[in-house]
Parts: sequence; C-alpha cells; structure tokens
Amino acid sequence: MEKNESLYWNPVIETLPQEKLQALQLKKFRRIVDWAYHHSPFYRRLYEAAGLEPGDIKRFEDIRKVPKIEKGMFRDVQKNEPFPYGDMLAVPCEKIAVFRQTSGTTGTPVYQADTWQDWEWWAESWCYILYAQGYRESDRVFIPFGYNIFVAFWAMHTASEKLGCETIPGGVLDTEARILKMKELRCTAFGATPTYVLGLAEKARKMNVDPAKDLHIKRITVAGEPGGSIPTTKKRMEDAWGAKVYDHIGATEIGAWSYECTEQPGGLHVNEALFLVEIEDVETGEPIAGPGRQGKMVITALDRVGKPCIRFDAKDVIRWSGAKCDCGRTYRMIEGGVVGRVDDITKVKGVLLAPTAIEEVVRSIPEIEDEYEVTVTKEGDLDEIALKIEIRKGREGEQEAILARLKDQLRVKTNLGYRISVHPPGTLPRYEVKARRFKDLRKHG
Amino acid sequence: MESLAIRVKEMDALIQKMRELADGLRDKAGGIQAVERNLDRISANLKMLEINISDVSDLL
Repeated sequence: MEKNESLYWNPVIETLPQEKLQALQLKKFRRIVDWAYHHSPFYRRLYEAAGLEPGDIKRFEDIRKVPKIEKGMFRDVQKNEPFPYGDMLAVPCEKIAVFRQTSGTTGTPVYQADTWQDWEWWAESWCYILYAQGYRESDRVFIPFGYNIFVAFWAMHTASEKLGCETIPGGVLDTEARILKMKELRCTAFGATPTYVLGLAEKARKMNVDPAKDLHIKRITVAGEPGGSIPTTKKRMEDAWGAKVYDHIGATEIGAWSYECTEQPGGLHVNEALFLVEIEDVETGEPIAGPGRQGKMVITALDRVGKPCIRFDAKDVIRWSGAKCDCGRTYRMIEGGVVGRVDDITKVKGVLLAPTAIEEVVRSIPEIEDEYEVTVTKEGDLDEIALKIEIRKGREGEQEAILARLKDQLRVKTNLGYRISVHPPGTLPRYEVKARRFKDLRKHG
Repeated sequence: MESLAIRVKEMDALIQKMRELADGLRDKAGGIQAVERNLDRISANLKMLEINISDVSDLL
C-alpha cells in the first residue's frame, strides 16, 4: 500500500487529478448517453427531437448540447407503458429488482426502477460516503428508519453491511425503543434526517438519557434536509449527541452524489467519478464553472442504467467552493451544501427569501427549542410572514430579550420583519423524517 | 502514483478474466436458475469493480 491509501474507499479515483477526472466523466457521459439512446424510447425521442446523436458528443463542452430533463418529465412518462415506470426505462421490466418512489412533496410521486446492478451501485456510492466519514468495520451502525417505499436510508444500510460494519435495522421500533436499543447495543453511529437527530435527542432527554453521556455514538450521517450544512443546526446536533455530524445529499431519481468528509471543510465533496454536476445561472442558463456564484444544479448519474438520469435539472441551488480539502480528495466541493431549491426561494414583501436562512437564525439562539414553523400569507396586497417558536423550559422569564435578539438577527439575515408568536415547549409539530416547517399559503389563494 | 498505475492495470486484467469466467459459466448454465441468478449478482459486483478500477485504467 502507498502512503495514506487507507484513508479512501478508492484511492485510485478519489485522488485523481481534476483533468483526468474530467476525462473520466466525458468517457462515462458518452457511454450513458449512447446506452440511453439505444435502449430508452423516451431518451431516443428526446435526443432525436433535438437532432442529437451520441457520436455528436466529442468534447466536454458538447455535453451542454444534450437536452436537459425535469421532474415533470419523470411524471409524464409514467403514463406510458411499461407500467408503472413508463418508457424512460432502458431495460425490460423483468430486469427491475428494486422499486422506490419519491415522497411526492412537489407533486405526483415518481416511481424509481433499479436493476440489481443499479442497487449495487447505490450501495457503492454510499460506501464512498461512509468511508469518508470514518465508518469502519469496527462500527456498530443503527438505522432508525422506517424501511419502506422511500430510498432514504436503505442504501446506507446496504453500504454499511458492505463496509463490514455491524448493521442494526431500527425499522418498526418507536423512538423510545430505538434509543433504548442504541444504548443496549452501544451503537457507535447512525443515520437520520437532521430533524430526527434532534427529535431523538429530545426524546432521550425526556427519558433521562443524555445522548452525549449515556450513549456511545461517535458519528452521525444526516440527509434529506439542509440542516447538516447549516452551522447552527449542525452544532445543536453535535452538542446534543457529543458526536460528529456529517452531511450527505442525494435524491431518489439521481443517487447519492455528495458528501462531507471527516475534515468537515464547510462544504460537501461531489462524487465526480460517479456523477457529473453542472451549475447554471438560474436566469440565463449560462454555465457557472468557478467558485462563489450560486446557480441551479444539472446532474447526470454516470452509471445508472435501469432508468437513466441524464442532465437532470434538479432545481437545487448550489455553488462551487474554491477551497481544497485537507482530506486529499480531488473531488470538487460545493460550499455549504444545497443552499435552497429554485422552487423554495421565494419573494416575500419583494425580498428574496431562502427558508434555510430562517433556520440558521432560529437555531443560533440556544434558548429557543429545536422546532419552529414559518407561514407566509397574503393579507390584501401585502405579504405577511409569521414565525412560531418555543422557548425552552426555565427560560420563559427572558422572553422579551430572546425575542428582541431573534427579531434583530432575522432582520440582518433575511431583511424581513416577522410576526412572532411563542408557544409552550413541545406543542409545535414534531417530525420523524422530513420536516415541513415552511408553509407558503399564498400559492393556495 | 506510478506503482498504483501499474497495479490498476494488473487489477483491470484480472477483472476482465473474472468477467470472461462469469460469461463462460453463464453459457454452461442452460437455464439453471441457481446458477444464472447468482451470476446476475456476481455480474453486478464485477461492474462495480469495473467502475472503480477498469474505467480509469487507461487514464493513469
């Protein structure tokens, strides 16, 4: 072994110079487009309508000639045969081994078809994540997840097994039983949404279990929400558990494309050997190659064959980081994770607002409980934005000062004034998977 | 990095041999499900080795 090879799941490609990574991406992009063109009727129609043949992609710049796909296309194509996936499929239905679906947060759920090779690829991409986050075969990994139609932590489970970790499914157990099982088995790691990481800690404290002292958790992988890349939310989670929290971003239609490493460099590595990430200006569609400027992500899963995902406009807003990570990986990083979604970043009172900015402020004030709720309404011609919070038990006497700090910081971070109401601790909704704390009711009249 | 490059090429050659062996076994299976279905899984794992090693072997 050469020096430091053991730091990487695959030192061959994780430390490949950028120009060689790009050559690898081009080679694989051409291969997946050729595959889709010849095996998926949907992609064949799409590319023929654009006058594109796979052989037209000769240089990296040619990638932009390939038409993008959007979520609505995934939904529309499901109306076609073969049932229930439609003709985006690039293999016969008999070759589909794994069904998952999206949550349907933004509309009709998308049914996702994976061959066994695709499912092995999901596990492989998660191995890159877990290994970079310090998971080793000595870990005992708990998966407090409902093992259902959503991909969520299924792939973390299979990757954890593949890494050789002892892997414990916490499926149908309730939150209390999960805490007791983690304690009983001295689990060293788990994965959950940021909301549930905080919810588990809150429940544990009610059971007189201090997660930081009474459990043995050293590392937590979060996904499904932006909290893992919001410094104040990450700090809350790490303080509550006495553990390191690492972020990861993925999606059902795409795969597990990005992850934070143990260096916690303030950004997430893009797994550039398995995915091609492009960033485009939201308004003009022009490519953004350099760091600092945010835009929307267009992504390709370079090795997913059952239902290919090629140049998917995912509506996620990200920006390249200019930093080099001390971990030695040459994969580029995105700064601060997914900043928001094109659909979520909305104008309130004429000001652009990203819900993550509110979370950052609320979670920066320790006297405020973890849960909160934001509602945007329209009263007459005016937008109103209401924020519900809970103040921690024993700190009620400081309410006036806490609210003053909250209003000040919200004004600084978001340029907006809020109608704030205080609710008794534990009365706002609690969530086990993805939280829905931001509600824009203007769209519903 | 040079020794790693040599190792990658050697690993790639062995992966291709494994692929040939798997294909040969499939030819002999003649529909025996216990062979063909296990080969499907082996083939998926071989693909992961190709993604990790073979795809990059000509770039080092």
